[in-house]
Amino acid sequence: MRTIFFVLAAASTLSCVTVKPQERAVLADPIMQFEGDPHQSAQLRHAIDNREGSFGGSGVAGGGCGCN
Amino acid sequence: MQLKRSAFGAIVIVAALAVADEAAAQVVDFDTTHTVYYEAPIRTHMFVYSPGVNLAAHPWSFLDVHGGWEADVVSGASVKIKAGSAYKASQPAADVISVASVHDLRNVGKGGFTLKKDAVSFDAGYTYSTEHDYRSNSVNATARTELFEHNTQLQIDWSRNWDSACDKTQTVNATAEQAVPLEDSVGCFTSLAGRTTRPIAIDSFQGGWSQAWTPTIQTQFLYTAQILNGFQSDPYRGVILGQGVSAQEHIPNNRTRHSVTARFNFYLRPIKAALRLSARGYWDTWNIKSITPEIEFEKYLTDSWRASLHFRYYKQSGAIFWSDDYYAGDPPLGPKGAYYTGDRELSPFSSYMGGVRTTYTITPEKGRILGLMSSLKLGGYFEMVQFDYDEYTLAGQTITGGRAFIGGLALSAAF
Repeated sequence: MRTIFFVLAAASTLSCVTVKPQERAVLADPIMQFEGDPHQSAQLRHAIDNREGSFGGSGVAGGGCGCN
Repeated sequence: MQLKRSAFGAIVIVAALAVADEAAAQVVDFDTTHTVYYEAPIRTHMFVYSPGVNLAAHPWSFLDVHGGWEADVVSGASVKIKAGSAYKASQPAADVISVASVHDLRNVGKGGFTLKKDAVSFDAGYTYSTEHDYRSNSVNATARTELFEHNTQLQIDWSRNWDSACDKTQTVNATAEQAVPLEDSVGCFTSLAGRTTRPIAIDSFQGGWSQAWTPTIQTQFLYTAQILNGFQSDPYRGVILGQGVSAQEHIPNNRTRHSVTARFNFYLRPIKAALRLSARGYWDTWNIKSITPEIEFEKYLTDSWRASLHFRYYKQSGAIFWSDDYYAGDPPLGPKGAYYTGDRELSPFSSYMGGVRTTYTITPEKGRILGLMSSLKLGGYFEMVQFDYDEYTLAGQTITGGRAFIGGLALSAAF
């Protein structure tokens, strides 16, 4: 746990002020978002998750199965 | 009912507009998505239509309120009794591939709120879902903060499910091998004799770190864990065991799952495109391990129109108790301890998924669309998945050309 904390802290410090606020336009663009369109991605993930034995990496909100 | 729902939506929008901060340019987001899943030819021809509607209101700068509804309309067939090649060899005349038609409707209602102050936000929500044979109550919470001029984002998510599944009441003192599968969902969640309810508790946790490294590169690392306790079998499925006995599927009540995900987004400024890479590793206490590399390339074709190409590979090992034939046979066939399942999702397999996605966004520089909307977004996607099962068969018959087709349409409007 302590190792994880130090790795995160060190990595964050390295990147400190790397990107100025006025340079963030591209990072805020929709095509640079990790989740893309969140609702569309969630439906696609729901369809795939029911056909695979694994889970994770895309949020934890619940909501039943629909997996017959 | 439809009219009531529309009227309710209109009231929410008008109310949100009425109480909105005058300075706020956008106070309500409306989103609807529709996905179709079709799977063939694994003898199931499973068809799932999933509509969804989401509404988010931003009445004050420190508060978002959101709610939604989604559904799965399921029809097709599922394997009712699972047998393997050894059993088929001993019963050559019998049709041992038994499938049952499946029709289900899953309805999900959800609501929540987000509190924001400076670089910190807190989100909480509740979800209720119901199916003919499954019910779920779930609460979730998320805390998020931004550090170092918003270049570092840390997030933790937690959720807890109190679910219940319908099952057949077994005779007193029946052993697992004597358990009989549930015939259908008639009488589930009622006091009808022959039906019982089995609880499932699910705790999920996720921690995330997103980092902007340069004006065109950002990364994300996620760790997800989930602990499940309760009835996780398919109550309808039977499995052929030794001496040809058919028993209800029997799998462990406890499962702990872990996954780590790394994502890398790179903006290619000269061609106004983004390259998104991700890799996920997964392992659990049933000894399933999987890897999932994924790549997506998205490009602006015009200022309003973007399109992407996507490819995903998935490979998993089987659960430690999974066997294609619990009746007999040389390894990897034969019984695997106290548990047995006919679930192909617990077998070793790989899949390839490829597809395209497109989005068109209208954002007027002056005024509003139809005098109401500050932006309108239309989107669509299509994906094809190819499944390659290493060991799973239908009574010894290898599955070839197992494919699924997934398509979706989406519309988003900001008011």
